[in-house]
Amino acid sequence: MIEEPTSTEDKEQAPVVAGLVAEFPSPEALVAAAAKVRDAGYRFWDAHSPFPVHGIERAMGIRPTKLPWLVFAAGGAGAAGALLLQWWTNAVDYPYLVSGKPLFSFPANIPIIFELMVLLSAFAAFGGVLVLNLLPEYRHPAFSVRRFVRATSDGFFISIAASDPKFDAGAARALLESAGAAAIDVCYAPAGVPRLPAGLKWSLAVAGLLALLPPLWIARQRQVPSDTPRLHIIQDMDFQPRYAPQGVGRFFADRRATRPPVPHAVDVGGLQTDSHFHRGQINGQWAATFPIPVDREQMERGRDRYNIYCAPCHGLAGEGDGMTHQRAVTRREPGWVQPRSLHAQNVREQPAGRLFHTITHGLNTMPGYAAQIPAADRWAIVLYVRALQRSQHAALDDVPPELRPALLQESTRP
Amino acid sequence: MTPHPAIELGRQQTTLDGLSPRIAPALRIAGAAALAIGGALGLARQDGMQLFFRAYLTSYCFVLGMVLGSLLLVLLLHVSRAGWGVVVRRLAEVLADHVPLMVVLFLPIALPLFWGSSTLYEWADGQAAAHDELLRHKAPYLNPMFFAIRAAGYFAVWWLVARFFVDTSAAQDASGDPRLTVRMERASGPAILLLGLTVTFASFDWLMSLDPRWTSTIYGVYYYSGAVVGAVALWILAAMILQAGGRLKDVITVEHYHDLGKLLFASVVFWGYIGFSQYLLIWYANIPEETAWYRDRQSGPWLYVSLALVAGHLVVPFFGLLSRETKRNKAILGFWAAWLLVFHWIDVSWLVMPNLKREGFPWGPIDLCLAASLACFYLAGVLRRAMDRPLVPVRDPRLAESLAFENF
Repeated sequence: MIEEPTSTEDKEQAPVVAGLVAEFPSPEALVAAAAKVRDAGYRFWDAHSPFPVHGIERAMGIRPTKLPWLVFAAGGAGAAGALLLQWWTNAVDYPYLVSGKPLFSFPANIPIIFELMVLLSAFAAFGGVLVLNLLPEYRHPAFSVRRFVRATSDGFFISIAASDPKFDAGAARALLESAGAAAIDVCYAPAGVPRLPAGLKWSLAVAGLLALLPPLWIARQRQVPSDTPRLHIIQDMDFQPRYAPQGVGRFFADRRATRPPVPHAVDVGGLQTDSHFHRGQINGQWAATFPIPVDREQMERGRDRYNIYCAPCHGLAGEGDGMTHQRAVTRREPGWVQPRSLHAQNVREQPAGRLFHTITHGLNTMPGYAAQIPAADRWAIVLYVRALQRSQHAALDDVPPELRPALLQESTRP
Repeated sequence: MTPHPAIELGRQQTTLDGLSPRIAPALRIAGAAALAIGGALGLARQDGMQLFFRAYLTSYCFVLGMVLGSLLLVLLLHVSRAGWGVVVRRLAEVLADHVPLMVVLFLPIALPLFWGSSTLYEWADGQAAAHDELLRHKAPYLNPMFFAIRAAGYFAVWWLVARFFVDTSAAQDASGDPRLTVRMERASGPAILLLGLTVTFASFDWLMSLDPRWTSTIYGVYYYSGAVVGAVALWILAAMILQAGGRLKDVITVEHYHDLGKLLFASVVFWGYIGFSQYLLIWYANIPEETAWYRDRQSGPWLYVSLALVAGHLVVPFFGLLSRETKRNKAILGFWAAWLLVFHWIDVSWLVMPNLKREGFPWGPIDLCLAASLACFYLAGVLRRAMDRPLVPVRDPRLAESLAFENF
């Protein structure tokens, strides 16, 4: 049974024959016919059925698909790429120690390797199925045959494309007839340029433009100066629930957010077991010796700290005439007491530990400096003060012998 | 509903008729002999009884994994309404229907606890446990009486599940009633839940408590996932051995092996996934009470066993089973099944042994004797079950579909 073409919609162009579509009465007939078409040596042809038909691949002579190799290669690339990415970012480009693990820790990398392998495998499988099946195909010529729509409900079809090198309309028709076709139709290439539904282009363009607005707004927010806080796109850990210091908390019974230390707790460095070093006392007596090395380095350090913390009041030479004092005198500050001269007899007689104690806790109007100056630096200051005192009460014997003549000569000058 | 007509497959094909009934008793005698030799070897060594009981527990949990893994596979076929697997479902039922045997074999593990023996479980020593802060806190759970009560509960659940599915399947052989299939499908979901919970807690009790200070919530899944690897491997081997013996020749085809191979592959990957999940969390947190367990398994000979497991239980079979061609090649699939069965035993041993035997080669003659002994007992049971029923659910409504099954 041969039918005339049923597709008459496009009359303005001569229809181009795209191939033959034959219907078969049953899946078994389809399989048998497919074997015949295969044996006739056709290459560009296909079988269509509403459900998968067992054995059709063999009957059609379809070779095993290459898809698994594509998926395998993509999966391997994903795994290797993930490993490389993590090695480069974590160990090379931005080394960042996490939990004391090595910078390049394989176990930590495995989840990413796994995920990327699966992701790329899935992409390759999805895309590979489309590409290897020449999809998407919106206007298959077989649809120019009316009855072909039944390929999705109850029809079994074989289509042979005219592009097949062996295609000859008469021979192909004879072959399909001999294979038991119930009906054979000529199908035509879709004529004309496919048209998009009206308005689709405009709608898409408008939607695309609207989609640009949020990023533009964000970009503006990030560039323009503003009094209000910026739009915070990526939160990171910038805003976290927390308690203010000394605030009210809900968790503990005493409703204090800041926890007091547990009884007998000692803060780091707060133990202060060395009485000499921390309190300047040895067996309850003021220490006369220094717990720090007495050398040039400590002396320099002491001068440095003295000039910062002590000189404003006591003066650079320790005379008790620092800038603060001079200013108070100039302004005739009422009740101003001159800072002590460090060269006073009673100060010079104090042991080093006593001086250290004074710096630590203060004396009279002088405040304690324990909060600003670490203990080692306070000792260095004491050392420097000792040097200052010595400088004002030196004997000739203190001067190196080679310098003494010059000194004597200078003192006899008028 | 009308009873489903039987499909004539031929008695010669679907039964073990003609097989000597003496094989099963012989296997039992061999099992008892191997057990005796293992015991004698244990008594001859100073620390031999500890080795003996650990080896016993290893092989017991290995065989238990075969039983419970096969039971889960039966349930999986039902819950997924699998048409393809009907021809091999009876084999899984035959491999699974051994809960009473496992109860008997459990006695050597449970009974010594009641006369205060802590040979196997450190927590059973009341004195030591009383001085250990952690064990004292765990004592309400880890004590011989509650241990036994729980075990009885697990066995009861397993026995009921196995009875229901095996007996219903056998009833269908007689009646051909398709409603029985529906009934089994309905029951399979809740049964899987029950099985998952009980196996999880059983592995906590029997395996994880060997290291009573250590816990891992994923442990049960780890044990069960490994057991399923072993069960699928045994399933494949059972089908191949039957076919080599001239049974089920035209019933099980390359298409069924292909699907069994997929199951084997999937279970291998799942095992690796679970094993790595457990490792990664403990490795990352790096908390001493958690890492101690892995430390045992990363020092001495067990380091090499751990690496061998990663390679032999995951990486190598992963690539070996990845391709469609290898799953459709009986020789290659059979090789991987045997390989994974061996590695599953190693996996169970890796769970049991490391905190006892810290030096030297991990296994010795005692382990081999007990593996052989319990395998013999189990195989004797399997043979007995297989000989008194058809090897295929002959009147299952999906049998025709399964016989004609093809992979696309």
